[in-house]
Amino acid sequence: MKRLKYLLAMLLAFSMVAAACGDSSDGDDSSDGETSETTEAEVDLTQGSDLTFHVITHSDDGPFWTVVKNGADAAAADLGITVVWKPGVNDAQTMVQDIEAAVAEGSDGIGASLPDPDALVGPLQAAVAAGTPVITLNSGSNDYQEIGALTHVGQSEFVAGQGAGNRFNDAGATKVLCAFQEQGNIGLSERCEGLSDSFSGEVVAEFMGLDADTTEQQNTINAALAADGDIDGVLGVGPVITMSALRAAQDLGRVITIGGFDMTPELLAAIEAGDVAFTVDQQQYLQGYLTVLFLYLNVTNQNTVGGGLPVLTGPGFVTPDNAAAVVSLSEQGTR
Amino acid sequence: MSDTAAATPTTDERLAYRSVFQRVFVRPEVGGMIGAIGIWTFFWAVSETFGTVGQTFGWLDIAATLGIMAVAVSMLMIGGEFDLSSGAMTGAMGMLIIYMVKETGETGGWGLPLVVAIPLSLAVALGIGYLNGYMVERTGQPSFIITLATFFALRGLKLGLAKREVQQIQMARTDEATDFDLFRPFFAAEWARNDHQFELRDFTFITLIVLAFAIVILGISELWFKRNESLKSAGLVQFLAGIVLGVAGGVAMHLTDGVAANIAAAAAIAVGVLVGVNGWASWRYEPIADRGKLEIREDLKRRLAIGVGLVVVGAIFAVIIDSSSKRDVFFPFTTQGIRAILFVGFVAAGLTVLAMASQGALSINPATKFAVTSIMALAVVFVALTIFVDSESAKFRAAFFSVVMFVALVLFAWATIVSRFTERRHPDRQSDRLGARMLVAAALLLAVGMATRLLFTIDAEILAGIPPAKTSVRLLWFFVFAAVLVWVLANTKFGSWTYAVGGNKEAARQVGVPAARTKTQLFMLVSFAAWLVGLLIAFRINSIQANVGDGEEFEFIIAAVVGGTLLTGGYGTAFGGAIGAVIMAMPLLGIAAARWNTDWRWLFIGVILALAVIANKFIRDKAEGIRR
Repeated sequence: MKRLKYLLAMLLAFSMVAAACGDSSDGDDSSDGETSETTEAEVDLTQGSDLTFHVITHSDDGPFWTVVKNGADAAAADLGITVVWKPGVNDAQTMVQDIEAAVAEGSDGIGASLPDPDALVGPLQAAVAAGTPVITLNSGSNDYQEIGALTHVGQSEFVAGQGAGNRFNDAGATKVLCAFQEQGNIGLSERCEGLSDSFSGEVVAEFMGLDADTTEQQNTINAALAADGDIDGVLGVGPVITMSALRAAQDLGRVITIGGFDMTPELLAAIEAGDVAFTVDQQQYLQGYLTVLFLYLNVTNQNTVGGGLPVLTGPGFVTPDNAAAVVSLSEQGTR
Repeated sequence: MSDTAAATPTTDERLAYRSVFQRVFVRPEVGGMIGAIGIWTFFWAVSETFGTVGQTFGWLDIAATLGIMAVAVSMLMIGGEFDLSSGAMTGAMGMLIIYMVKETGETGGWGLPLVVAIPLSLAVALGIGYLNGYMVERTGQPSFIITLATFFALRGLKLGLAKREVQQIQMARTDEATDFDLFRPFFAAEWARNDHQFELRDFTFITLIVLAFAIVILGISELWFKRNESLKSAGLVQFLAGIVLGVAGGVAMHLTDGVAANIAAAAAIAVGVLVGVNGWASWRYEPIADRGKLEIREDLKRRLAIGVGLVVVGAIFAVIIDSSSKRDVFFPFTTQGIRAILFVGFVAAGLTVLAMASQGALSINPATKFAVTSIMALAVVFVALTIFVDSESAKFRAAFFSVVMFVALVLFAWATIVSRFTERRHPDRQSDRLGARMLVAAALLLAVGMATRLLFTIDAEILAGIPPAKTSVRLLWFFVFAAVLVWVLANTKFGSWTYAVGGNKEAARQVGVPAARTKTQLFMLVSFAAWLVGLLIAFRINSIQANVGDGEEFEFIIAAVVGGTLLTGGYGTAFGGAIGAVIMAMPLLGIAAARWNTDWRWLFIGVILALAVIANKFIRDKAEGIRR
């Protein structure tokens, strides 16, 4: 009897693993078809040039960063140079080692993100001092000048929020709920602050529950909307909470202008259907592409872009007008 | 627990026998129920919308998935174990089901029909539960650590496999299943209230509520009083006359309009209740021969003075503070809010002191008990009148006023019979069973009445343009699941084993309880609940992110603790878990409904948790102290 139970447990554990793994071979093939290799080893696309740039980020190779990588790879292919993609997987220590290794190898230019400025500013300053041009991308808009980087390529959360505010102005909204899904996240707060800055009506910024519990999010937003009949716009500062806001508004039968941040397939479908007015897209493809392009122009032609200011890749907007196009582009991995 | 109870100083009460109320208050979930009613009333008072049907569905919806888990987790905790993987498992099971039904090909997935995927995923869930139990048993390590490992493993599997298999951090499209429409009604059917009209709704609601309260009073009487040697038919006639009078009053109130007519009808109801209750009692119970003389001792006098004083101070606050001001004073209160809190706080404190005085008077003589309880009823009437006179909003003047007056009436009716009839000081199986069944029947009537009120709309509401309100079948899952587990824990051998292994595993094993098996089954019960919740989420939002459920396991544990389950095991109820879930859900929604600054939300949850734990301990110690 006991042996039987043991076997049963093994069987269940096995089926669990099998269920989770599934047709792994299919998945691998489709993901790697167009982007050479996904291993974190060096990606060699050299086509007649000896320039080698290193792009060292806190990438986790998730859907977001895959698009950045695709941008950098596309620029390398277009320019006929080599780009080495180093994903730090949110570990600043790995990034420091990669930066120091790149400088030691005699890299022609470094693109780096700054998730942890305290750890990364020093090594990048050393790279600049050693004569390697540096551009920060994605995060680092507050520190690129201190490093001596050529410029920063990314989205300012504040400016993105301002862009959303203008959208609500155009839609004729008078009171917007800025719903956020994480407390104490400075990036999300800046999005709401940007909204308050440019929006002509009233803004209430409130925490509406974590993404981990969408039931709670939906009902909390529902409660806020029901309690305040003046709210005629909701900005969700993430894709999941935006969908929760949409469901809440639909449950109440209220006509509310809904805007969001970033993209998921559901959110894009809702925009295509006209249920959500827009989502803010930071166009991270540009962060990869432009970083490589700007480094190339600097090295080959001594150009500097931005005039000491950051180069903003967003906010771009996905609206019902361009949603279908963005959907097909995101399937190609460029949006 | 009994050793801590000894520290509570109690005087005369310690000598008293264990009365019905003491038996009730020693139940683990009673503190939670009182808390739930308090929190509901609080948010109902401070928010315009919290009491509406739409928002009620809102917090019930939050409570449903939380509650399914909390009930199962309560049982596991009674069995002396924790499951920290329970939160992550809800999301994992949802993702697994979606992955199983997704179309094969580029998107990944197995393309199974739900009819296969549902049982298969259940088998996986039970397998994980078995693994948890088996590991805890085999290694002898605390389940806190073992299931923490399971938690991290599931969390990693969710993200890693999602990205590897479908190149996304989520699993999407439950509706790709070929037989999605077949299963949808079971897991995602919705009930749109505005599509269901029932013109007799309010009449049904009020009738059932009044009936339920009447049965509660009679049921408590049955538990409380000593039966007559023979029934006295004169009492039965009086009882029936009281019913006729009360019903006549109710019908009159329903049909007539105007203040004078309403007062007359209310008086008829009140007299009907008093006559009926006394009739019932003189029909069935033994009268007291010597009721004694009114005797207000020094300590009783002090208690009465303090109690009445507090109530009056509360009323004074209500009168002198401007009720219309919404000016912010300090977080998160407006003048209005502070007024409400001061009023409710002082009144509640005053009535508590009066209730203690009434309790103490019982040991003097019936006449004193009658006088003191009547004073308490008068104090409640005073509160009702204060609300009526000083409140500007219709909901307070009408609904709240009526409820408080009704409470006063019930109190006074109780005072009349408790001072006239003999308390039963010995068990009486027949009466105990009848009384308990009456209480259960009353609870069911109450539930049916409330459901009627919530589920149906009437013409007038539609004309007034109330917003649509929706609820879904997941609520039914919650109620059924909770009811089954409550029954299992209270009435089956497995339930007794659960208490036994949680109380003292070794002792349980030595008396022949299959301890290891029971604990493993409890882990599997929690995984079953997680599977059910995952399924409900997958059907509801059609896509599940990899982080869904992560961190929720603590909310389940908190709900169980708020509902009176002890972290040390061996004590608690499944029903308490359900109540705890409701208590957790109401503030989440209430804070948004009250339009407070949500930055303070966690503080609020923390305060509730602390208060619940302290109140539970206080009530338990008090009840057990009395019992000794």
